[in-house]
Amino acid sequence: MKVSFINGSPKLGTSTSELMITYLTPFIKENEISIYNIRKMDLSEMQFGEITRSEVLIFAFPLYVDSIPSHLLRFLVELERRGFPNKNIIVYSIINNGFFEGKQNHIASNQMKNWCKSVGLTWGQTIGVGAGEMLPYLKNISLGQGPNKNIGRAVQELDDNIMSKNTAKDLFVSPNWPRFLWKIQSSLYFWYPLGKKNGVKRSRLKEKVMDKEYDNKHF
Amino acid sequence: MDILIHDIDMEQFQLLFPKADKRLHIISDTGNIRNCIGCFGCWIKTPGKCVLRDEYNNMGVIFAQAENVFIISRCYYGGYSPFVKNILDRSIPYLLPFFKIMNNETHHKRRYKNNLQFSVYFYGDKITIQERKTAQDLVKANALNFNAKHYQTTFIRSLEELPKEVIDI
Repeated sequence: MKVSFINGSPKLGTSTSELMITYLTPFIKENEISIYNIRKMDLSEMQFGEITRSEVLIFAFPLYVDSIPSHLLRFLVELERRGFPNKNIIVYSIINNGFFEGKQNHIASNQMKNWCKSVGLTWGQTIGVGAGEMLPYLKNISLGQGPNKNIGRAVQELDDNIMSKNTAKDLFVSPNWPRFLWKIQSSLYFWYPLGKKNGVKRSRLKEKVMDKEYDNKHF
Repeated sequence: MDILIHDIDMEQFQLLFPKADKRLHIISDTGNIRNCIGCFGCWIKTPGKCVLRDEYNNMGVIFAQAENVFIISRCYYGGYSPFVKNILDRSIPYLLPFFKIMNNETHHKRRYKNNLQFSVYFYGDKITIQERKTAQDLVKANALNFNAKHYQTTFIRSLEELPKEVIDI
């Protein structure tokens, strides 16, 4: 079975989308797997051809402003323009978001379902994972264990559905971690240190920027 | 100040909006927009401003001065067009990276105190019922995350159906 992953993260370095792909690939390693990064819209004709000839398409991407990020949206529009000569493709999504609740990915999942309908492909399933920025910090903990318990369960279910090419109900999960603690930790151990690393003090992170040069110009 | 974000080609836009009010900040597609690269620079390097060097790097400040946000977008799969979505993706410096709990969900804290009102017009002659539902959910979620007190979502088959109150803004 030819399985194509579309890594929809725009990040230059490692990303949570990439991590989610890494989690899933050992389960389906017996298959012919290809991973395409669409950070730049520079896939070759051959790569577009390979994608449209897949049997399974898996989109892994982050949630941006409640929905599909714009660069991935452009890619989906381009895929629709090119068309799928082979309609016998089933589509799955792995979406991660920065908020704690995985369920906040439901709109992006519905957009993916609508895209499938537009291009005439079969919808499979979405797993939506919350607290996306936290996941790389948990990568040394086995899937299905401790804070990765829910994520492991979701990845396992998605794997089962991919292998049997099933359509299933979306599954939205968050790490097994108290939300109040995650919220405090996100400020103390993520945003503030990142600011400090860039020479930005805590108070400046909250600064109200009012550009004096702003001149109401029309673009 | 009001903002109009749209994806209409310039020639047609000028025909539709021949006398746009000078207080209206119009954000159009010049073909040069860069996509958000998820670097968080607008939160942790230059708080409130995007680090990408193009003419759209000031969206946070523009939103901070706005009252009404009008969006005119072709509907794609129950959401905005890639350009309009690109603008919204580049607008997150309007918010803070920190979180608050609202309606038992986490959302970003606000950087500014101005109250926004969203009016979104989706156009397209093949918008399905499911796409309408998704688009309505999306605008509602955007309004919540951008702290917009009021929002409305309207679907039209073509730009000629834009209501007079929008043409006259």
